[in-house]
Amino acid sequence: MFEFLFKGLIRDKSRSLLPVIVVSLGVSLSVFFVGYIEGMMGDMVDQNARFGTGHMKVMTREYVKNIAQKPLDLSILEAGKVIQELDKSYPEVDWVKRFNFGGILDVPDENGQTKTQGIAGGMAFDMTEGNSDLRRLNIANNIVEGRMPNGPFEMLLGQGLAKRMNVKIGDTITYFGSTMDGSMSFQNFTYVGAVQFGLSVMDDKTFLIDIKDAEQILDMEDAVQEIYGYLPNDIYDDQAIEEIKNTYNASFAESDDEYAPQMLALRDQNGLSTMLDMVNTMSSAFTFFFIIAMSIVLWNTGLLGGLRRYTEFGIRIAIGESKRDIYKSLLLESVIVGVIGSVFGTILGLILTFYLQEVGIDMSDTLGNSNVLFSNVIRAKVVPTQFWIGFFPGVMATFLGALLSGRGIFKRQTSELFNELGV
Amino acid sequence: MQNHINMNTNNIIEIQNVTKRFPVGETEFTALSNINLKIQKGEFTGLIGPSGSGKTTLLNLIGALDIPSEGEILISGKNVAVKSDAESALLRNEHIGFIFQSYNLLPVYSIFENVEFPLLLQKKSKAERKEAVMQALDWVGLSDIANKKPSQISGGQAQRVAIARSIVKKPDIVLADEPTANLDSTNAYKIMDILKKLNEELGITFMFSSHDSKVIEYLRRVITLEDGKVKNDETK
Ligand SMILES: Nc1ncnc2c1ncn2[C@@H]1O[C@H](COP(=O)(O)OP(=O)(O)OP(=O)(O)O)[C@@H](O)[C@H]1O
Ligand SMILES: [Mg+2]
Repeated sequence: MFEFLFKGLIRDKSRSLLPVIVVSLGVSLSVFFVGYIEGMMGDMVDQNARFGTGHMKVMTREYVKNIAQKPLDLSILEAGKVIQELDKSYPEVDWVKRFNFGGILDVPDENGQTKTQGIAGGMAFDMTEGNSDLRRLNIANNIVEGRMPNGPFEMLLGQGLAKRMNVKIGDTITYFGSTMDGSMSFQNFTYVGAVQFGLSVMDDKTFLIDIKDAEQILDMEDAVQEIYGYLPNDIYDDQAIEEIKNTYNASFAESDDEYAPQMLALRDQNGLSTMLDMVNTMSSAFTFFFIIAMSIVLWNTGLLGGLRRYTEFGIRIAIGESKRDIYKSLLLESVIVGVIGSVFGTILGLILTFYLQEVGIDMSDTLGNSNVLFSNVIRAKVVPTQFWIGFFPGVMATFLGALLSGRGIFKRQTSELFNELGV
Repeated sequence: MQNHINMNTNNIIEIQNVTKRFPVGETEFTALSNINLKIQKGEFTGLIGPSGSGKTTLLNLIGALDIPSEGEILISGKNVAVKSDAESALLRNEHIGFIFQSYNLLPVYSIFENVEFPLLLQKKSKAERKEAVMQALDWVGLSDIANKKPSQISGGQAQRVAIARSIVKKPDIVLADEPTANLDSTNAYKIMDILKKLNEELGITFMFSSHDSKVIEYLRRVITLEDGKVKNDETK
């Protein structure tokens, strides 16, 4: 009997192929949608992690209390030792030094008089050849004019700032600021290139220098403002981060030194926790509604599939099949169609997501000229959820469709099924 | 298999005070009113009468596809109206064959598979099925087209396949609702010859509904319905 039903299913394309295609498409869209949302989320997290927060960040306790001001005078002393211990305890994590500080940039004319001047935010990282931050921040690929610094006291400007300061490659820029302990500091830099961040706040206000230059002008030879930590391959993992943070902070629990190191997770910074939670909730809600919408479409497919077949059911009833058995066979068919369609759809959706995950990353190369750090490139990310989520609309909805349309077998009088035979 | 058939009576079908009403909008339409009939085993009987007189309705009631509003229908002494869905399905499956005006073959299955279907429901073995199907096709003279699809054969052939399907399980009763209405006279006579032979040689009870004089020629008993009532009942 099963064989008989299966034969019918395979031979009748409108009962097998067509619904399988519809289910596959619906499922692949749902699966892809999840990957797309995850990709967008991941992008947001990555951008924050790279520039602002790291996956986690070590500072002094006092610094953490005043974190919004980024107070240099509350920086970590004996930075080398702190980093060494971090490397020992968490060797899988990449620990890097970063500085963020303010100052005045002054471009003198040929007579040494101020030509242009502006307040700017400096960011320093290790620009040594082969350093991980060099790859991570990917500045080299986003230089619109000039080159990366490769000697002492060379400076990059955000492209908006460079324009405002009206500088040419090779011009001298004088930095005025204060050292860690508050004394006055100034230093001449050579302007070597402009960077396009793709985010106007950064383009208009940021300058970049090497970490060794920063240590010198801020008088922080063995001190560091913030130590950023990144998980292997820079892949964000909420739980792993939370664990590292907790064990690390626990190891200083006994200490009452207000300058003892303290670790914050990405979540703990810049209100990212609420934002992440909100985006999470929103993406869950979007995904939910999308799945519901897809379910309605697929439910209708199942419904029509059943309605179309009342004639056949009439014949089968006359021959002596019970309504119950017919109903069961209709449901079984819908599950077969649903599962096959969901498998194909999931594979298709995953391929689509994977494609966008890979190509999305290389988008700037593909598009050539649009070298921006914070790009709105469409990106997707393959996540475990995608392996099962499609089965909800795929199997459940087709099944529900069949469940409802099949009820007509019972609701109608059998003779009415016959009247639909076109007798 | 035959155990619930009451063999003490010769009345294979007994219709007692049957009335059938259909809901039409707010009101009801009486399609059959107070019908009383007895059909004996081995009869070759037809319901005739104008369109709308209730012939199909009565056949559907006999086949337990529908239940009477009032009265009882006994098949071999058992009331079919009180049967559950599964029981009435079993009754049809084991004892009643149907032939329709439009042949109602399942289009995706071969001729062989169409005829085989009732036996699958009876969970017969493959060998038994094959033998019975080939025998039934032999009865209607179509053994050679067993592997064709319904779309590849003529109307006359399709109706013969439908006959093979209705008799493959060796039923007690075959209900035939205007079996010749879509056929030319050559095919109509051919069909009636086959059915008559099945009646005589296998002892199957036949109950027709028809307007067709060619069918009426063959009938041994003619029951005339008019406005849902038996107007005349005549045995030749
Ligand atoms: N399901 C139904 N609902 C409402 N009315 C119905 C239904 N089935 C049949 N009828 C009505 O019952 C009456 C008898 O119908 P039936 O089909 O039995 O006639 P018939 O004698 O077979 O006619 P024909 O020769 O046209 O086949 C008709 O008036 C028909 O409209
Ligand atoms: Mg009729």
